[in-house]
Amino acid sequence: MKQFVINVTPGPTFLHHLSGKTKVMLFGTFIFYTLMSFDVRLLLPLFILCLVALISLKPNWKVVIALFTFIFFMNLINLVLFWLVDPDVGQYYTTDTRTILLSLGNFFLSRETFWYLLIRQLKLMTSFMVSLTFILAITPSEFAAGLYGLGLPYKVCTVVSLAFRYIPDIANDYENIKISLQARGLEMDKRKLNLFKRLKDNLFILLPLIISSFDRIGNIANALDLRAYGLLKKRTYYAEHEPTKADHVFRFIAIAVLVFSFAWIGSRMIWPPVTQMWTPF
Amino acid sequence: MHKEPLIVFDHFSFRYASQQVETLKNIHLTIYKGEKVLIIGQSGSGKSTLVHCINGLIPNSFKGEIRGSCTVAGMDISHASIFSLSKQVGTVLQDSDAQFVALCVGEDVAFALENQAIERKEMIPLVKKATDKVGMSDFLMQVPYTLSGGQKQKVSLAGVLHENVSILLFDEPLASLDPFSGMQAIELIDAIHQEDRTVIIVEHRLEDVMHREIDRVIVMHEGEIVYDGDLNALLKANILIHYGLREPLYLQALNYAKIPFSTFEDVTDIKRMNFSAVQGELKSFVPKQLHKRIDRSEVLLTVKDIHFAYDVKPVLKDIHFTVHRGERLAFVGKNGAGKSTMAKLLCAFVRPEKGSIELSGTDIKVLTIKEVGQRIGYVMQNPNHMIVKHLIKDEVRFALENQSLTNEQIDDRVEDALKICGLHSMRNWPVSAVSYGQRKRITVAAILALNPDILILDEPTAGQDYAHYSEIMDFLDQLNNDHGITFIFITHDMHLAIEYTDRALVFADGELIADDEIQAILSNPDIIEKANLKQTSLYYLAQACGIAVEPFIRSFIEQRSQA
Repeated sequence: MKQFVINVTPGPTFLHHLSGKTKVMLFGTFIFYTLMSFDVRLLLPLFILCLVALISLKPNWKVVIALFTFIFFMNLINLVLFWLVDPDVGQYYTTDTRTILLSLGNFFLSRETFWYLLIRQLKLMTSFMVSLTFILAITPSEFAAGLYGLGLPYKVCTVVSLAFRYIPDIANDYENIKISLQARGLEMDKRKLNLFKRLKDNLFILLPLIISSFDRIGNIANALDLRAYGLLKKRTYYAEHEPTKADHVFRFIAIAVLVFSFAWIGSRMIWPPVTQMWTPF
Repeated sequence: MHKEPLIVFDHFSFRYASQQVETLKNIHLTIYKGEKVLIIGQSGSGKSTLVHCINGLIPNSFKGEIRGSCTVAGMDISHASIFSLSKQVGTVLQDSDAQFVALCVGEDVAFALENQAIERKEMIPLVKKATDKVGMSDFLMQVPYTLSGGQKQKVSLAGVLHENVSILLFDEPLASLDPFSGMQAIELIDAIHQEDRTVIIVEHRLEDVMHREIDRVIVMHEGEIVYDGDLNALLKANILIHYGLREPLYLQALNYAKIPFSTFEDVTDIKRMNFSAVQGELKSFVPKQLHKRIDRSEVLLTVKDIHFAYDVKPVLKDIHFTVHRGERLAFVGKNGAGKSTMAKLLCAFVRPEKGSIELSGTDIKVLTIKEVGQRIGYVMQNPNHMIVKHLIKDEVRFALENQSLTNEQIDDRVEDALKICGLHSMRNWPVSAVSYGQRKRITVAAILALNPDILILDEPTAGQDYAHYSEIMDFLDQLNNDHGITFIFITHDMHLAIEYTDRALVFADGELIADDEIQAILSNPDIIEKANLKQTSLYYLAQACGIAVEPFIRSFIEQRSQA
């Protein structure tokens, strides 16, 4: 069994013990909050908050750091490209000036662009941190229950939890089919084959995989029917406990953040329309 | 005693929408409240279809044409919804992996309650009660990947035990269990039956179900009920073999010794049978001199000091054994004991941490998977996991095309493999047109075309009835006899190990705890317990007659191979 980042059963810490609906609400509002703004005064506190939350979850740091590093450098490459395409990109969003920090022949790095790219990185990393904290704090069942609690039809929620249930099984089938084909002489070594040939050979795995997955789907559908799945319009969830005091507090916070976000959008972005971001200069 | 009819089939026939002929033909059957009924029959005899009629999958999920009538707990199945039936009928499916739809035990047991929108605070004690009954209440937070087959089945059972479910259906409950877990499953089913529930078991492993008393047996054959009565009369009539079913081993032994069943009043429980009158005949059944047919002159494979782990927990420790050319080996032991991992190591799918595997003197660590694959072939349990081509002959060609051979050479080898496997006349057929047993043959042919020295087969007969089991195994045995191919079978089936292997390697918790002839292993209670095996009825029979167990089992095997 491979170790996945997601937990299937709830962990032991405080945040793990919040109900699924609370977690989904917090995730939704904080993502909205992150997306709406380019303001360091909003982003930095949330980033730090997420860091604290992440530490409180006692995660497997090896995986978390690896993920963080990967995302960080992917975004960095993206930003470098932004800068190469237009070294003045920051001017449109900050102050309409050009204060050169660093000159490299024809290229230069201005204070405005540097600030803009810095905040952009902060924004992306904050949304990554919000997502990661959420993923580590929730189980797929709580996720399904939380979505249902927010009014999604339960059939959609079941698709989510069933996917989490069976993806490892299908991955296992894939692995088995692959090795049996390799034993029959199909070359799968990355170093020995070009991409096109590898894609073509992977098609051989697909046929048996699809057939066995269809068999499985048929059986699952029967298993669902036999236990009266789809009987009623509503449904309850074993994984979703009654809201505790902490849940009420956090749900209130989520709603407050949402209200604040709308107020912020209304007062700062729609009227009067401000396109420039806050800078310390 | 007044018996209350619970399930009534009257002039009942059913034809699947996708088929030309009726799968169930003119069924008359009444099952009474509180009965424990066993339905046996070959694959395709219609026994699963019968079960689907009772739980409502027919006609709700499987469409087709119904003639006659069937009522279950007073509801006519043509009109009843699958939901109203599910309140009366609980089904434990054969595939306990597919039935485990939730992410942890508690949630899966609660699934039916969730669907009825029962409040969580009422749900929790109900889940506790159901899991207590099957002995799984300490596992509520466990995920399916950490459970054994037997445990998953218990979860499935707990999941349908709620409320007043009066009828329980078990669809081949023993198919994927090791012998000991199978025995436990039968005991659990019996305990559930004692709670005044009606139990219907569909299974072809008759002898294993007989571990606990059964009220009635129904034999199905080609869509019809050919026997409906008590077990004793069925066994005494000696008709099972006509319907492609296996009779219990001890009765098979009595047959070989030509002892009529009429000698005994009741033949359903070996422990209660009195063999004093026939002891002499059974003793003379064991010949004085036993010849050994295995030629152990050429060492093919040497496994030395193998250690292996996927992560930190060791899966295999300190494994040593040798395989000689022409041997038939069984790898046995409970799930997770390391037998499949050992097979993967032999095929170089995974590499050992320590130790060596030598194939005719060459350490396989210097060979690629492909190179090992030409010498040691691996046939997976499910043929559908292996077949990648549309036509049978293309499937057999597939592995050869990946080698540096001329077209003529390939054609020759494909021809040979097809002929050996009896598929030559079907070579241009699409794979989808043939039966499961024939697909198994195709996968064997596809590996045989590579001319391997050793074939490893993972559960070659799982889920197969006796007729198909014999067809597959006799074919493999013939390959061993005529072509000297060495076989390794990974199996839970002790019948297979007894009948078709010379030697068994027993794995328990990552260690090789025994390497001996199967009759020696099955007469060693210590090994049987450690590896979740089960005493066969031959063992009891030999003991009851005061005959040494080992030679008795061996002479049984010889009788069988002559028959």
